[in-house]
Amino acid sequence: MGLIARTLEEKGIPTVSLSSAYDLTTLVKPPRTFFINYPLGHTSGKPFDRANQTAILKDALGGAREINTPGAIVALPYAWDDPFWLAGA
Amino acid sequence: MKYLKYVDVVQSMFPDQPPYQWTVNDSVPWTPIVKPLAESAVAMISSSGMYRKDQAPFKPDKNDLSFREIPADTDVRDLAISHDYYDHRDAEQDVNCVFPIERLRELAAEGFIGGLTPFHLTFMGRVFRKTQFLGEMIPAMTARIEAMKADLVLLVPA
Repeated sequence: MGLIARTLEEKGIPTVSLSSAYDLTTLVKPPRTFFINYPLGHTSGKPFDRANQTAILKDALGGAREINTPGAIVALPYAWDDPFWLAGA
Repeated sequence: MKYLKYVDVVQSMFPDQPPYQWTVNDSVPWTPIVKPLAESAVAMISSSGMYRKDQAPFKPDKNDLSFREIPADTDVRDLAISHDYYDHRDAEQDVNCVFPIERLRELAAEGFIGGLTPFHLTFMGRVFRKTQFLGEMIPAMTARIEAMKADLVLLVPA
């Protein structure tokens, strides 16, 4: 996904990426990324939680312009109630 | 911050294979965002394997180099997911978990963003054919985004 973002930016189209895979994002380096520490399958929010989904989008779309460092990864403050997938992390 | 290392997760799925050569970049291409968000047409690209039920599903295991164009006004009940490698039980009930089209429509309606491009692009992640991905699929997707005159592109991996 980061490779698509990079190609778009090379062509002059700005991008903002969401990611739940911090390590992969640090390798590929999309131009602007908001990290959401949720299990895969929930990158843009919790199911049927409109407030959570809207907050993530507003943070990412609204915050994109504030990022001045290419490759920046900004962690969003939302937490998953039961971080089951982090047990072995 | 505690987070899962997906490099290790992928390797553990293929214990007999040599480690996958992840792309590692040092430099970062950059286009400044100059247009105000409230005047910007936003396009979304999602690797969720989302498709409209009247479209062909994705090959759900790997290396499907096609993408789908989902009209911005699509009824979410007409969407389905074809992807074997993430838990999409929640996303099947609420596509906005990985393809937040209803939330984007609301943001456009309230004027937070200027609007949406006529179509959004989806594909099935897990493309390991890097040459074709970089040489064919990404240029085709990029050309569609350019043709729709997107001012800002939101990328949502699943």
